[in-house]
Amino acid sequence: MNQFERDLRESLRRREPPADFAAKVLARTRDTEVRSVFSWRWLAVAALVALMVSGTLFIQKQQQQVENERSKEQLMVALRITGSKMKDVQDRLNAIQQRMVRLQGIQ
Amino acid sequence: MTKAEFESVVREHQGLVYSIACNFFHNEALAEEVAQEVFLQLYEGHRSVATGSHCVAWLRRSTIHRCIDTVRRASFRQEVHMDLLPEIPVDAPETDPLLQEGLRRLIASLPEKPRAVMVLRFGEDMDAEEIGRTLQMPVRTVWSHLQRATAMLREKATRYLKEKEDEPIRARSS
Repeated sequence: MNQFERDLRESLRRREPPADFAAKVLARTRDTEVRSVFSWRWLAVAALVALMVSGTLFIQKQQQQVENERSKEQLMVALRITGSKMKDVQDRLNAIQQRMVRLQGIQ
Repeated sequence: MTKAEFESVVREHQGLVYSIACNFFHNEALAEEVAQEVFLQLYEGHRSVATGSHCVAWLRRSTIHRCIDTVRRASFRQEVHMDLLPEIPVDAPETDPLLQEGLRRLIASLPEKPRAVMVLRFGEDMDAEEIGRTLQMPVRTVWSHLQRATAMLREKATRYLKEKEDEPIRARSS
């Protein structure tokens, strides 16, 4: 190693940080922990809110489905009733028509 | 790793981390900030490293990369023109504070990669292979940075010597 390299080595020798360096680092770790606790709390609150919203939406959807089913059943009953009434009317009309044909035959 | 263990790691290696940052930036406040961030990074995400045998290597690698990133992010590079630097009396005694200060400023004015190589080589006494591993660059590149940076620094010193030799002649002629 030449003199110049020795000079370089001497210029870049190990230096000690300020006396309170370690204390500052530890203080910053405490701040980080506090921030981390806060962030976990906010995360928990956000998760709870999301759960409540999704739960409410799920219940609403279920209720809507039940309502739809009921409406569908009512519609089917109404159609069945209408169908049977129509059949009665059709039968009566047929009966009247047959009677008229018979009367025309007699005359 | 418990908090007490972390504290002992900080106390044990604070000189190493601070020195690398300080030699890199030649700026004590910035060096302290970067050194603190390295230890916070260790505390937050790499606690397992601190108890293992790779602690020193991890700290060196993280510190030098954080220094390089800081320079790149903030365009912090202190481009000091060689002529603006204080002259370096190379024939001065080893403890000459002017010589040390001049060399430190000159090193801090180098581009990031050669500067990192010089800091690790002459500050941390690492060999080219270790530096290559730390900076993730081929050993040939490390040697190239070392030779070019050393030559540049030496040129400045030589120029100074030449000017010193010419000074009496110029003084006589005027």
